[in-house]
Amino acid sequence: MEKIILLIPGIPLVIAFILIFVSKKEHIPKVSIMLSSMIALLGLYGTYYVITTDESIHGLGGLFVFNELSAILVPYVAILGLVIRKYATKYMWDEPGYKRFFILLNFIFSAIYMLVMSNNLVILALAWQLMSVSLYLLVSFNVASKSAVKNGSWTMLIHKGADLLFILAVILTYQTFGSVDLGHLSQTWLEMSKNPTDNPTIFVIGLLFLLAAMMKSAIVPFHIWLPYTSEAPTPVSALMHAGVVNVGGILLNKLAFLLLLTPAVLNIAFVIGLFTAIFASVLMLVVPDIKRSLGYSTAGQMGYMIMEVGLGAFSLAIYHLMVHGVFKATLFLESGGLIRYARHDPNIPQRLSYKLFWEEKTEHKSNKTFNLIALFTILPILIFIGVKMVLSEEFFEFNAAIVILAFGWLTGTQLFLSFFKVSRSDSIKVILALVSSFIIILFTYEFIGLALEHFIYGEHALLFYGAATLNVTMIMSMVALGAIMIIGWLFMYKQHFVGIPKNKMPKKTQWLFYKLLAKEAYVSDFFIKYIKIFKKG
Amino acid sequence: MLMSIILLILAAGVPYYLILEKNKKLNNEKIFLISSFLVFCAIVLSSFVDSQYSSLLVIISLLSAIFSVYKVTKTTNFYKFGYYLLFINAPFFMLFIREQGLLYSLSLLITLSGIYSIAKHYEKYYGSANYHGISGTTLATPYVGGFLTVYLITLALYPPFPNALFLLSSMIKEETTLLWYIVVVVLFFGNFMVAMRVMPKTVFGTPNSNLHYVDLTSKEKIMHFVIIIALLGLSIIGFKGTIA
Repeated sequence: MEKIILLIPGIPLVIAFILIFVSKKEHIPKVSIMLSSMIALLGLYGTYYVITTDESIHGLGGLFVFNELSAILVPYVAILGLVIRKYATKYMWDEPGYKRFFILLNFIFSAIYMLVMSNNLVILALAWQLMSVSLYLLVSFNVASKSAVKNGSWTMLIHKGADLLFILAVILTYQTFGSVDLGHLSQTWLEMSKNPTDNPTIFVIGLLFLLAAMMKSAIVPFHIWLPYTSEAPTPVSALMHAGVVNVGGILLNKLAFLLLLTPAVLNIAFVIGLFTAIFASVLMLVVPDIKRSLGYSTAGQMGYMIMEVGLGAFSLAIYHLMVHGVFKATLFLESGGLIRYARHDPNIPQRLSYKLFWEEKTEHKSNKTFNLIALFTILPILIFIGVKMVLSEEFFEFNAAIVILAFGWLTGTQLFLSFFKVSRSDSIKVILALVSSFIIILFTYEFIGLALEHFIYGEHALLFYGAATLNVTMIMSMVALGAIMIIGWLFMYKQHFVGIPKNKMPKKTQWLFYKLLAKEAYVSDFFIKYIKIFKKG
Repeated sequence: MLMSIILLILAAGVPYYLILEKNKKLNNEKIFLISSFLVFCAIVLSSFVDSQYSSLLVIISLLSAIFSVYKVTKTTNFYKFGYYLLFINAPFFMLFIREQGLLYSLSLLITLSGIYSIAKHYEKYYGSANYHGISGTTLATPYVGGFLTVYLITLALYPPFPNALFLLSSMIKEETTLLWYIVVVVLFFGNFMVAMRVMPKTVFGTPNSNLHYVDLTSKEKIMHFVIIIALLGLSIIGFKGTIA
């Protein structure tokens, strides 16, 4: 009976097929939503089954599996899909190609479910490619717009690259391990990790999979396709940022035991993820287009996700992609309304660059700055030490926890500062906000992260942290942590509380820095100049 | 060796550039039909011979394929587009194991028959098989746009269509060499670039207000449905072969 759950990837295809024959426009969303609700219910039943019986559901010749990872991701995708479909019902009503939109939407959902539930590398490769082509057709949905089509071509080009690397990795995997069955491969990889050998082919396989994941998850330098898909319909953007772009993290989780054998790949993932998280987040602040800014924000979050994988916190990456997905989908669906509102009121939204350099504000001098910095850096470290005494020893044996917490704290602080709109005069509120954000981050990452880790990987979870250790000493970690906190705090402080430039002109260095960032570090210019493959199309 | 050279002449594009394209009596449609017929002959012939080809022949066909990729960027004619694609894929045909190579070629010919039908439709209603300027078919003539999209996605080597599946199947089961990797990478992107180049010209874009667009007739629709069903049928064979 429970095997029926394995039919989930096929249901969207059935919906798409039925929609071809639906002639009345009013019936298209009804059919789509009604049958999609069935997927959500099946997904939830599957999750219930996996939790209560502690067993995975295998079937269809061993090609598909509904395991712990699917139990988390399938209901997430299905419920998110329902919201997006419901939103699209009215949002897309006046667009030409209403039926085409819903058919394509179902195709991409089918590819996502297939990817999540696949238990075979060939099926995974097919889902990986199906998603590329469905995404291309959705990004280029506004067929009459030249720029939408051109940006769709960029997307397709990078995704095709990811497809090739993926296929080459599958071939090498088959040649090295003699199987494409993921369940069997995972067992082999786990056994091999007990007696590690230095095999360059395994490193190449891991690297190819990582590169493929990076391309689809918009990690620098392959990020360029994501911010430029802003012409896609808003529901597509929501789906893309909440679902499609996360496939890199999903893939690396499915191949987690392979990465146990390639610590160097994990280290590469950490470094590139870290760079992407910082680079894309900074660009997000200066880009004036709201949807492109959200695009860079997603790229930054994906960097964060890959960084977590690089630290061995695989399950945390899943938690991150889900939380970020829900948050970003909401933002995108709301951005449509905000843009409409802004068109009626020219003062909203204000550009961040305007705020940073031009807006007149009352300058408020404070001689407590350094005291506050000291407080905000020393206090969290003291809390770390305090928590260390309470929590498990293993957790703090690995650098992963420290780096993740530091970044988590920065993210939380940013959120609180934005949320409360505190000013320099509200020092007490600032202190409370920063400290409370840090505590919340500790709770979230420690307890939810660990719970998810036990559910997905059980006793093997600590193996990943062991493999991902960067061999940085504890002291170095603490120094790095302190530096990150000071820089982060200063950055946020400067960002929120800027005085008036004396001559009402920005400083030259600041201006040059801003110009570099506003031009998106010239990466897109490079692509436009040197990759003109589709220009003559 | 003699048989290999015959196959090279039949399947790779070199002779066509040297002879057929120089002949002023032959138009693009005829060259397309002759090329397809000769490639079909190559498929039949190759089923009787050993599938091992010398590296030199593969290199010649690869160079011919790269030249065809270059040539196809200069054309906006569906017939030329069709026969250049045959030559682009010749190294696949030469390199891959017999059964997979044959099925791949068959899928390619069936897909190109769909392109040929679209070309005939264009010729009938717009005066020529030139697709430059017939933009916005998705909006103006959805059936033409839809079918053309399917064919181009098939040619761009994407699943669930058979070309991609036979390619994947061959890739997993082949003995790999450096030459093999070069051929796969060049042609994987070659096919994709060529197929995707057509989309902005005709499938996407704003419909041309100076044109009277005509969608497919019922008879044409049935024919295209049959082609797609044939492709999906081959996909099932390809899928089984890949999983086995």
